[in-house]
Order: sequence, then structure tokens, then C-alpha cells
Amino acid sequence: MKQGIDVNALPEFQPPPELWVRIASAERARRHRRRSAFASAAAAAVVVLVALAAWPLRDPPAPVVAAGEVESRRLEAEWLRVAGGSTPSSTTRLRAIDAALQAAYDRGAAADEVEPLWRQRNDALRGLIASLQQDAVAGVIRI
Amino acid sequence: MADGQQTVRVEGVAGRGFGQPLDALTLARARRGDMDAYASIYRRYGAACYTLAMRVLGDPAAAEDVVQDVFLKLFATLRGFRGDAPFGAWLKRMAVNATIDIVRTRQRFRDDDTEAVFAALPGANATAEDRVDAWTLLARLPARARAVVLLHEVEGYTHRELAELFGQSESWSKSIVSRALNRLSAPEGQEGNR
Repeated sequence: MKQGIDVNALPEFQPPPELWVRIASAERARRHRRRSAFASAAAAAVVVLVALAAWPLRDPPAPVVAAGEVESRRLEAEWLRVAGGSTPSSTTRLRAIDAALQAAYDRGAAADEVEPLWRQRNDALRGLIASLQQDAVAGVIRI
Repeated sequence: MADGQQTVRVEGVAGRGFGQPLDALTLARARRGDMDAYASIYRRYGAACYTLAMRVLGDPAAAEDVVQDVFLKLFATLRGFRGDAPFGAWLKRMAVNATIDIVRTRQRFRDDDTEAVFAALPGANATAEDRVDAWTLLARLPARARAVVLLHEVEGYTHRELAELFGQSESWSKSIVSRALNRLSAPEGQEGNR
């Protein structure tokens, strides 16, 4: 006949009273670590947000450069229009400014170095436009 | 096996140990992280966990580690308890797994030759005087064999579950339980039945 184990014949054990104190203490420590980790993560998130918010303030020249570049494109289109659709030959001054701009970008120049070059380029383009317009007026008078 | 430990023999296990129900209010409070509710759960099930670990491991320090690990894991995962199974059964499963983890770890470093142990025990045809009571037999078994016998005979695990738990075949589990039971002395009044 198969005989099983008599459960009542087996001892039951009582854990030492200090075991719960240890478990509760470990649980509190775990919660504290979790709260600290959450606080650290929140602080890190705040730092990142502040840095992101402050970023445009620390890089003000960028919009200026962008504005100079946009103005330059507008002037270049105007120059082409005044030239009657044909590609006008570049002047020595304009080529020199373009070379300086390219060199500045190639070495990763700061915005405060690039921005005056765009201004120079725009001044040069305005001069070229004015020159073409004057030539056109002179041609009409000769006719 | 824990000879110096304070042991209390009990009259039955119905409504005791892992079989105790957990009231919904305590469970809800515990899910919210209430430490008093945690303490209440520990008072209800702590001894059952400790007893299970002690019976298998026979080492008070290791049993305390099991109880601590189980309850910390319980507190961390309580929100995920869906109530599909009784709370005590869920907790028992965690306690068994934690205990078996320690058995597995120790097995790497110790000779756990179950065959040799059974060979040294009195055979099935031994005299009544040579036979041993359940606790004495369990105390002589290596932890892994002891775990198999206890989980099958006391905690109601099937051979299939035990085979999965220990990464062995069902016949391996059946063999251990069968040989262990054959060496048990009969309870009083059943000597002639064997």
C-alpha cells in the first residue's frame, strides 16, 4: 500500500521576530532609493529643459546670419532680373567675398565672423544692381 | 537540519499557512503601498514561507533570506496581482521558486548524489525498527530530493510540475518520491497494512 507523508508529523517553524524588522527596513530603503532615483531623473529633466530653453538665447547671431543670407538671395535674384535673365559676370569683389564666406564656413567660424561677410556681400550686390540699372538708363537715353 | 531551531508541531493545515484567505481590504491597502498592510500580510503568511524554506533547505539563515526575498518581491509586484488564483497560492509559488533557486545554487558546489543517499537508507524490506519517520527521512535526503518529496507530498505539486521545476523527467520525480515513501515507517496502527 502506498503511504504518504503525514503532514502533521512535520515541524512548523517560526521565523525570528527581527526578520520582519529587516524586511520592513529593506522595503523602506527600496522606496527611498526609488524616490531618489525619481527626484534625480526629474532634476535631470529640468536641467535639460532649461538648457533647451536657454539655447536660442546663447546663440543670437544665428537669426542675424540667416537674415543676411536670405537678403543676399533676394538681392541675387534682383541682380539677375535687372540683368535681363542672362547670368551676369561676377565682379572681383563679389568673388572675393564668396571665397571668404566659404573659407569661414569650412573652418566652422562663429556667427559673429560670418555675419559681416554676408553684409559685405549684400552691399556688393546692391552696388552691382545699381550699376546695371544706371547702364540701362544710359542706354535708353542714347537711343 | 535545523536541530537547534524552535519547532512547533501543528494539528492540521486547513485554513493555515498558504491556505489562509487574504481579505480584500488588506489587499487593496497593500496595493497602495501601505506598510501596515504589508505587516499584516507578513503576519499571516510569513511563518508558512519560513516553514517551507526551512523544511527544504534546513538552514535558518538561508530560510530567512528566502522569506526576505519573497516578501520584497511581493511588495514590488503586488500591483500586478490580478487575483486569478488565491493570494496564498500566488505567494507559495514565489516562495517555492525562491527556495528552489537556492537549492540549484547550492547543488553546483555540493555532492548531491541522491542514488547514494537512498542506497544508504534502509531498504523497502527493512525491519520496522530500521524504518524512519518522515522528518528524519527528509532530514537525511539531499536538498533537491527533499524538495521533490515535500513539494509533491505536502504542497501538492504534480510530477510534471516538479519535472519542469528541476529540469528533469517525470520519471525522475516519481522515482525519488516512490523510494522516499517506501522507506517511511507507517503511522501508528498501520504497520500491518504495508
